[in-house]
Amino acid sequence: MQQLRTSSRRSFFSSMANGLYGAALAHLFIKDELLAASNDGTYNLKPKAAHHPAKATSIIHLFMNGGPSQMDLFDPKPALEQYAGQTFPGDVEEIGNQSTDNIGAIMNSPFQFQRHGDSGNWVSDALPHTAEVVDELCFLHSMWTDHPNHDNALYKIHSGQLFMGHPSLGSWIAYGLGSESQDLPAYVVLDDPRGLPKNGVRNWTSAYLPPVYQGTRFRTVGAPVLNLTPEYEQPSAVSQAARELLNKLDERHRRLHPGYLELDARIEAYALAARMQLTASEVLDLSSESQLTLRAYGIGQKATDSYGRRCLLARRLIEKGVRFVQIFLDDQPWDNHSNLRGTLRSACDRTDLPAAALIQDLKQRGLLEKTLVVWGGEFGRTPTSQKIGNDFSGRDHNMQAFTTWMAGGGIKAGSVYGKTDDFGHKVVENPISVHDFHATILHAVGLHHQQLCFERNGLKERLTGLKEPRVISEIFS
Amino acid sequence: MHCYPQLQRLALLAFVTAAFGYMQLWVVDVTLASPPESEARTFYEDRVELILERRCYRCHNSETKKANLDLSNSAGLIAGGDSGPVVIMGHRDGSLLYEAIREGTMPPEGEPLLDSEIDEIGHWIAAGLEFREPPSAHEEALDHGDVLPVFLLRCTACHGAELKRGGLDLRSYESVVRGGDSGPAMIPGDVVESLMIQRVEQKLCPPQDQLLKYFVKRPSADELDRLRKWIDDGARAGILSADVASEEKDPLVTDQDRQHWAFKALPMAVEVPAFDGIEFEQPIDAFIFEQLKKQELDFSPRAERSTLIRRVYFDLIGMPPTLVEWQRWSERTDDGWYAAMIDELLTSPKYGERWGRYWLDVAGYSDSEGGVAEDVVREVAWKYRDYVIRAHNEDKPWDRFLMEQLAGDELADYRRSQDVTDEIVDQLIATGFLRMGVDQTGSRTMNFVPERVALIADALNVVGSGVLGLTVECARCHSHKYDPIPQRDYYRLKAVFQGAFDEYDWMSWKTRFVEVATPEMIARQKEVNPAIEKELKKLDADRKQAIKSYQDPYYEAIWPKLSADEQQEILAAIKDTPDRRTLRQDELVTRYETEIRPMESVLIRNHSELAKQLAAIDQRISEMKESLLPPLAIRALWDRGRPSPTFMLIRGEYDRPGKLVGPGVPSVLTDGKTPFRFNSPTPNASSTGRRLAFAHWLTESDHPLTARVLVNRVWKHHFGQGIVATLDNFGLMGAPPTHPQLLDWLARDFVQTGWSLKSLHRKILLSRTYQQSSYRTPEKDRKDPLNRWLSRMTMGRLDAEAIRDSLLTIAGRLDDKMFGPPARVDVREDGLIMDQAASNKEYRRSIYLRLRRTEMPSQLAAFDYPEMQPNCSQRTVSTVSPQALMLSNNSRIHQLANDFSQRILSRDHAILTFPADLREDQNQFEWTRCVECVYRTVLSRSPSPEEMQVSSQMLGQMYNHWYVTGVQHEDAAYKALASFCHTMFNSAEFLYID
Repeated sequence: MQQLRTSSRRSFFSSMANGLYGAALAHLFIKDELLAASNDGTYNLKPKAAHHPAKATSIIHLFMNGGPSQMDLFDPKPALEQYAGQTFPGDVEEIGNQSTDNIGAIMNSPFQFQRHGDSGNWVSDALPHTAEVVDELCFLHSMWTDHPNHDNALYKIHSGQLFMGHPSLGSWIAYGLGSESQDLPAYVVLDDPRGLPKNGVRNWTSAYLPPVYQGTRFRTVGAPVLNLTPEYEQPSAVSQAARELLNKLDERHRRLHPGYLELDARIEAYALAARMQLTASEVLDLSSESQLTLRAYGIGQKATDSYGRRCLLARRLIEKGVRFVQIFLDDQPWDNHSNLRGTLRSACDRTDLPAAALIQDLKQRGLLEKTLVVWGGEFGRTPTSQKIGNDFSGRDHNMQAFTTWMAGGGIKAGSVYGKTDDFGHKVVENPISVHDFHATILHAVGLHHQQLCFERNGLKERLTGLKEPRVISEIFS
Repeated sequence: MHCYPQLQRLALLAFVTAAFGYMQLWVVDVTLASPPESEARTFYEDRVELILERRCYRCHNSETKKANLDLSNSAGLIAGGDSGPVVIMGHRDGSLLYEAIREGTMPPEGEPLLDSEIDEIGHWIAAGLEFREPPSAHEEALDHGDVLPVFLLRCTACHGAELKRGGLDLRSYESVVRGGDSGPAMIPGDVVESLMIQRVEQKLCPPQDQLLKYFVKRPSADELDRLRKWIDDGARAGILSADVASEEKDPLVTDQDRQHWAFKALPMAVEVPAFDGIEFEQPIDAFIFEQLKKQELDFSPRAERSTLIRRVYFDLIGMPPTLVEWQRWSERTDDGWYAAMIDELLTSPKYGERWGRYWLDVAGYSDSEGGVAEDVVREVAWKYRDYVIRAHNEDKPWDRFLMEQLAGDELADYRRSQDVTDEIVDQLIATGFLRMGVDQTGSRTMNFVPERVALIADALNVVGSGVLGLTVECARCHSHKYDPIPQRDYYRLKAVFQGAFDEYDWMSWKTRFVEVATPEMIARQKEVNPAIEKELKKLDADRKQAIKSYQDPYYEAIWPKLSADEQQEILAAIKDTPDRRTLRQDELVTRYETEIRPMESVLIRNHSELAKQLAAIDQRISEMKESLLPPLAIRALWDRGRPSPTFMLIRGEYDRPGKLVGPGVPSVLTDGKTPFRFNSPTPNASSTGRRLAFAHWLTESDHPLTARVLVNRVWKHHFGQGIVATLDNFGLMGAPPTHPQLLDWLARDFVQTGWSLKSLHRKILLSRTYQQSSYRTPEKDRKDPLNRWLSRMTMGRLDAEAIRDSLLTIAGRLDDKMFGPPARVDVREDGLIMDQAASNKEYRRSIYLRLRRTEMPSQLAAFDYPEMQPNCSQRTVSTVSPQALMLSNNSRIHQLANDFSQRILSRDHAILTFPADLREDQNQFEWTRCVECVYRTVLSRSPSPEEMQVSSQMLGQMYNHWYVTGVQHEDAAYKALASFCHTMFNSAEFLYID
């Protein structure tokens, strides 16, 4: 704990005090009435009315980059054991994403499945902690997507389109609902200090939506937001003098330009920047959390420390009124093309305990009811092994079926929806397209996919595209 | 009267399948179609027929058939139109007909349908499209035109223009009949014995291992059925005639449609309003005054001189005047100073960098391909950027400028290499305009027809929104809801580009470039580059050696001490690709790369000598690289002389071909009866000449849109708003012009003065309207809050480039170098994306930065540099806190403040002479000189006495605060002044232009 305090909190405050427009900038905190006036007719983060009443007011998206294997985690397939080593009986052209030479034989799961909890839902022994909260989760076994490549499938799962340049789910939600917090961005991304995920910052772009709806990266080391703290040293007295001077200059400028409301908006932007310095530092300071909580999230343990911190931060951000928090892993740890036994286990070891702790913690604090937690990746994996040289130890991409789970926010706890074939290769019951998935998430927070639109180039753009998606209403309690 | 139960519906289904072959939709629908038993059945003949006849007949009858839709009989209703079926059995909300009447988009004029009528039609659709009399339909035999799209989509990649596998070419009826090496590809009337059917059925064609190589997918069951049926019907040729404009009256676009103001030809002359007793030197002012008078408003007084200087400098070159320039314009006593300033700036090379940037937004300029995560850099895209800057600086006539960009390859025969001139090279570079969109077709898996069609759509969209001022994109999927642009016209436009952009005969960006250069260019390159390349190789080797010499001692000290097992485990971990490594292996690799054989970044941290050594090598490398002559490759678009036929795509879906169309322009912009004529401009018809004809049409002197759209854009950049507020939409849903006569006068004058942009600027800038003050009064705000009538100037924020470029020039860190490969951009560890200085330690203008889609420099992104999707016709201006954070906390901005301070105080190239005894003589006077200098340089004005007093007092305080930290007095002065400059960079007055 001591370490925490020194690394984030103290350095944060000391550097802030030196900032040109630091948190002490009390005279920039202008009255709310003024803000309301200046923001009229512009895009802002003020809370907006939902289209319909909903239980969930915020979302935590645990994004599992790489395509977690459904048949090794949640969707047991005894047929894999029975036919292990044999050729896939279906159409091999439909199997993976590459030319068909790379397809090995049917591969049994190296993990053991068991039913858990009162619900008796299946989870494999790769996720022992998730198994403990199984009664809170709703498994969607029938997700499918449109492209077997990471790039495109990632664009699809985040923005509903296969190509870059479209706003992400979080941006749409920030645009539709605004934020409960005026001191923090509506949409916060907690990416992995070890590196960016595949597709990088494009995963949380606002694209053609105004930039105020873009995902803001909160880093857990160093300055949490880009440029949040000064990148130079200056005595605080100098900063103080500079603030006074700027204030005088701007006041004069405003006086000479009556009627130009954008000048007020600019001053407000400086004020929000200052408030953000304060609030962000408070959120990041984990010293008020109990040892018990920290331990529950796996903070302090090598494998789980990083992900645990981010899960705990997600809860703290939600508490502050942030609308949408998204947690990413570096690169794509779930892309287990080979050595699935080892690499899938590693990905589980990093995330299993913290994700389960988050569910328990939210539940305990009464936050789960109004927080929708979504766990999942961009596609699933094949029932066959993939041939890489002479190695047949992993699975290839499978766009035709994958599992995602949801919890909280009005979702039916301890339930299962959708079904795949005997090999876990294709959806056979209640298919959920990515558009359906998005429409369902929007529905959970009170937004209607048709009404949530943005006009551009003469077209009404929507997250869920032209064709009518289906809200999976069956999974709501 | 009989009732048709389920049987009736099946009959209908069979009919539709037979006639159109699109079974998929209908199969789905049947499952949804069973109406609730309890509900009363409704039949077409009960009410629907009557409603349609009464409300839709005027446009959708057997003769007019607007959007190719005939609602006057049941067969026409079921057949649908250009947008595909309009009613889908059992699917009320998915049916176009229902959607159109419910949303009130149909009928376009007159009363909307009554709610009861809408309900009746909706109910009839939902209840299963029941008829008492089945729609009369006769089954027609298929002919070649029905299967040609299948060949194009699935077969011609291997049996077409590029490859003729097995000697087979499936592009024409004759060659299909002729067959290939294995004999006839099909036997008319005998499906079973037809080779093509056998091979497709057995999945021998297309071959499994080639699907991704040639980006083809297997024919769908429906497509295969169509092939079978065609052969079964006798494999008839039929008559394949493309729909093009002809002497006959256009059934889809009426003369009434042509009455919209923007679709009418640009008038030959526009009368300038005259007023008793008032004369305006500039006609612009007369037009503006006419409206002001009507609104009981008047011009504002002329802005102050310093305001005008700053305004004109930013407007024309995107930067503030230097101190010397400012002084010169401020001190001139004659009346001609203002015009002289404009003329001087219009000849500045910086003009093209400012105004070329606006056009690059329209083109959607980008230094990377985008689409896939790799976001591959477009190595020579900058040649197009340079072309645009040069064209602006030369004031290339705009009609010529457009023609080169749209059809530069067809203006001269570049294929005869001995005749290649600089002009020909330039014209090819110009066609880069059409190649700026996101292009993922070079990727391993994203080069199928849908991706290609999307790329073509982007190019058409750029031409539509950027040049024509029309949103044509909607007509890709259905006839335009608001504008009289039938879907047919979109595909005619697409056909104009088919010779170059052919989705069935594709070149990805990997191969789509030409190497065309003048003999001199080729010779020079051969002379210069090899020596530099050799030197670069040597430097690279030196670099590696330097690193190795520091690595080796670590390795030798640690590695032998490890046990064999440890060594083996580490080696195995390194050998595994990162995605295969377990957590333990990750740790081992990290250990190896930091302790055993430390990587460069680790070594640099611990060995400053190595850091120095490498920096010196890197400096040398970047100098050498800068002196390399660029590659000869041009990222051009050229006609290949063999366009595939262009089929309309129902609902824009690539595998639902509709009618065959030929090249043409939107009917509503013509009299509807003039055929689109084009000739190959080259011998042997190696080019179709379609785009050249299009460019000629576009630049006709009375074209309804081209000149209007352009002058409106220029107006917008000078006044902050267009005469037509929607720059990219002059159609029915666009904003009407506030000053239609002025717009026409400007456009006509523009064309008459030889499409000269600079002459247009001059007229606008010399107007009284432009020179007004931006001061708002309560009266003006009451009468015209949005300043539509221009009774004052509008204050505006600097755009991203102007902010960055100004800070650099003020700080004295701007690299004036024009043109060439873009400046490097790096992603910092925390994600901040910063451009890097050139080897001379200076920074280039923003237009010369590498503008990669996934690595947009943070400083530009923060101030609304747009997402090119596919282009940006109008930037948004946001005011958000990351801008405040950027300007106040970013180290680069702070460094520029330091540089500026140093520039003011340094002894050598000082703006001011450094007062040697500042510490002793800390009087107001010296600080006032600094303050004066900063105000003039940053804000282009002198401070007021009040500002002077406050500022110099603050400077004195800052000096003291620095001095007590123990720094030298010279240093304290420099730092205090830097803090002061930094504050000015953050001031509202710097960011906004009056």
